[in-house]
Amino acid sequence: MSTSASAQMSIELSLPSELGYEVIARDAIAAFARRLGLAPERIEDLKTALCEACINAIEHGNLLKPELRVQVHCRVEAERLVIEVLDQGVSPFAPRGEPLSIIEKVSGLGSLRGMGLLLISQLCDEAGFVSRSGAGNCFRLAFQRQAIGGAHC
Amino acid sequence: MLEDELTVSTRERDGVAIIDLFGDITTFAEEKINNAYREVTNQGARFVLLNFRQNDYINSAGIAILIGIVTEVSRNEQKLAVSGLSQHFQKIFRMVGLAQYAEIYQDEDEAISRFKRLT
Repeated sequence: MSTSASAQMSIELSLPSELGYEVIARDAIAAFARRLGLAPERIEDLKTALCEACINAIEHGNLLKPELRVQVHCRVEAERLVIEVLDQGVSPFAPRGEPLSIIEKVSGLGSLRGMGLLLISQLCDEAGFVSRSGAGNCFRLAFQRQAIGGAHC
Repeated sequence: MLEDELTVSTRERDGVAIIDLFGDITTFAEEKINNAYREVTNQGARFVLLNFRQNDYINSAGIAILIGIVTEVSRNEQKLAVSGLSQHFQKIFRMVGLAQYAEIYQDEDEAISRFKRLT
């Protein structure tokens, strides 16, 4: 697949806000990334990060309201694969500071949940919320197409 | 809601309580995993092995369930190990800190042999 041809390629998916549907998006985008030649280790990273971004959109953005949709847009740029996860913003993203460490969680100092953004930040080459026109949150993930091997840990 | 795709079973081998986990570890897994852990704990298990098999999907909600298990293991003065994870999920376990609380082994045999040295 040439760079000029792949630069025009994109995928758009629309999911109901129900847990489990993130796996449908994961499998579709992973197949796309595989065709683009992303390294297998990076595809595993992408799968986990994308699921976490979709779960955040389903649970926190759309508050698990199945009639609301989560959009997943994936486009190919010259050097990177960019994925945007958009919700309908019933609940706008509000940063809550640093997530609790596992030591704090095991000590009972807070919720056992809340590892999603930590995982995303460590698995992607770029990740974060971006502004968008209209209601809703947009979370962008990007992976370098030439990256070799997995994320560091 | 999409179908829950996890099967959990328990067995004992050489003094180790093994909890076999076939399938996805997500929010839908909570009751099954916690019930299996309670079952082996009520039977007096000191050594617990979470044996992951055919796990294509472990997400942050699943990790939260496992953090709950390590909390209970610590409270009950048990030893916990995990086996059968893919390289990717071994990396994920290290990223979130679960490896501080549970030794990670490639497979069940390796985990059992290491547990035996502790008995």
